[in-house]
Amino acid sequence: MATAKKSQGNGLTEAQAIERAKQGDAEAFEVLYGMHKRRVYSLCLRMTSNAAEAEDLAQEAFLQLFRKISTFRGESAFSTWLHRLSVNVVLMHLRKKGLPVVPLEDPLDTDEETPRKEIGAPDVSLAGSIDRLHLQNAVGSLPPGYRTIFVLHDVEGYEHNEIAEMVGCSIGNSKSQLHKARMKLRELLKTSRAEKAGKP
Amino acid sequence: MTCYEFQQELPELVDGGRTAEQESHLNSCRSCSELLADLTVISELASSLQASEDPNPRVWNSIEAALRKEGLIRQPQREPGLALVSRSRPRPLAFWWAPVAATLLIVAGLLFYGQLPFSRGSRSTPAQASLSGPKLASFADKDDQQMLEVVQAHAPGMRAAYANNLRAVNAYIQDAEESVQQDPNDEDARETLVTAYEQKAVVYEMAMDRSLP
Repeated sequence: MATAKKSQGNGLTEAQAIERAKQGDAEAFEVLYGMHKRRVYSLCLRMTSNAAEAEDLAQEAFLQLFRKISTFRGESAFSTWLHRLSVNVVLMHLRKKGLPVVPLEDPLDTDEETPRKEIGAPDVSLAGSIDRLHLQNAVGSLPPGYRTIFVLHDVEGYEHNEIAEMVGCSIGNSKSQLHKARMKLRELLKTSRAEKAGKP
Repeated sequence: MTCYEFQQELPELVDGGRTAEQESHLNSCRSCSELLADLTVISELASSLQASEDPNPRVWNSIEAALRKEGLIRQPQREPGLALVSRSRPRPLAFWWAPVAATLLIVAGLLFYGQLPFSRGSRSTPAQASLSGPKLASFADKDDQQMLEVVQAHAPGMRAAYANNLRAVNAYIQDAEESVQQDPNDEDARETLVTAYEQKAVVYEMAMDRSLP
């Protein structure tokens, strides 16, 4: 992917801002921060489900990036570089906290012998009844391991081979945990909807 | 194909195509069909969470401070002529923001300590109504515009960034106000509103720092 040629209101493209930032230009740093802050912060927030932690991690990710910016040569997209760095910062943080980045595959953890039963009644599809906010809240309630895989794959768009490399698991484990995360989200969303329907 | 067999293959189905056998099972089994539909909705809606939140403006403040401390930022060189012009610019414009930022913090404090009942409805007294939403909103709009005009005059390259920050923090305030309106006794909602006002005060302070020569 070529370096993105985005521009801010001041006319600086990303490439120009990078070159100026290498020279220590304060405004250039701020332009780069402004271009990418949402993506980085949202990633940190989704993976930690904690705004204060997400702010600290976003700050750390940008600082690490800016310290290394003189080494950026433009072979890959700046955003890709920053994003990978942000993911690594968050994963390292989760590991330091002792949280499971990815749950281990339990050989005894088999799917039910019988098809999954529906939660709540009546059984109505989620389509049309959930929005971004509902899903956001449900993702925040996921166990950390499930949340990591779901955010990296469904939210951020990483492939299973990339996830496996980043988090240190097998591709099969990544796929399995993603499926469990989605099933758990379905359960959380249906329960939440049933609770709201039951409120006076 | 049984439901069990179908659900074993479900992870692949959400992300990819399906075989004739799977399609046939979907057409005959409402339960599995709805399950697949739900998982697909969740997966597709997930991408809307990407880049959906703005960080607190103080994050940039901390980054900038660290970069300066580590010597990664150098002060821009001023041309002599520009330096003379900037010294001759009137200073007072920068200082009117101090009372604005202070007012935002005072409002936040009063809300926090429950001195402002925060009601837009007819139940508020005239004194309370004078401090309620619509007046605060008009106060904010006018000052936001003035702040942006001065940023434009002193640091035109940063106007867009400040406009974005103001949009984000005003949206945050609006969401927080709606939460408090729904339940004025909700302590969490009131705290969120206080935080939102504090964030706006930070944006003004940052702009004020920039406007000082």
